[in-house]
Amino acid sequence: MASHRGIVSKRGPQPTGSYPHAHIDGDMVWVTAQAGRDPASGELVPGGVEGQLNQAIDNLAAILDECGSSLDRVVKTQIMYTDAADSDVIQAVFSSRFPDPRPVQTAWGVRFLAAEPGTEVVRVQIDCVAGLG
Amino acid sequence: MSTDRTITTEGAPIPRGPYVHAREHGGLIYVTAQIGRDPKTGEFVEGGFEAEFNQAIDNLEAILLASGSSLDRVVKAQVEFIDEGDLDAMNRIYGERFHEPLPARTSFGVAFLWKGAKVQIDCIASAA
Repeated sequence: MASHRGIVSKRGPQPTGSYPHAHIDGDMVWVTAQAGRDPASGELVPGGVEGQLNQAIDNLAAILDECGSSLDRVVKTQIMYTDAADSDVIQAVFSSRFPDPRPVQTAWGVRFLAAEPGTEVVRVQIDCVAGLG
Repeated sequence: MSTDRTITTEGAPIPRGPYVHAREHGGLIYVTAQIGRDPKTGEFVEGGFEAEFNQAIDNLEAILLASGSSLDRVVKAQVEFIDEGDLDAMNRIYGERFHEPLPARTSFGVAFLWKGAKVQIDCIASAA
């Protein structure tokens, strides 16, 4: 039962700071916020906020899978985004990716997310808490 | 212990997005962030920050009660709001609505909220 540990997956973009992809404690997994980065290159994917959120959820799904969980076992999500006008597309993408039973959600607008070397900026990020059982 | 379930109640505004009001997992109730919308009309209540925050907490409470929990079993609350000038009102109302044993709390100012909401609050509560 003393099963709490950090998880770093090869299938998610490598963490750029002092954190793992996820932390497992008991029958819950807590996943670090994911942006729309390609796991292989670490670069932001094209396609604006829609492309970024789909990739971010792909990353969540890969990390959850590595931990023995999945999107349909997500209990709680948090979404941070930089443009109020992106709200509807964010909910549309979320709707297409999270099956029933749906998780709970808290979303809010932020001034900025992670800085990027190129012209693309991170427009959305998402984290989650999921069950393992 | 394996009581995973979703909760949606008419006592809180119908979710306007692809999420439920609450989920129970592992003895805890996780609640979606609530804003100051009237559960009957779905519209924001009149009266500015204070009215919105009281309504948001009313909505949170309705969801907790429908989940078999209550405000006094909240373990952690998180409050996001727009205007730094509302900080004192936020703390006063929060103090009126939450009682001992008080939950842990994180609150912060944000750039914007959904549809111009001035404040929102979510929580995690004990189911038992």
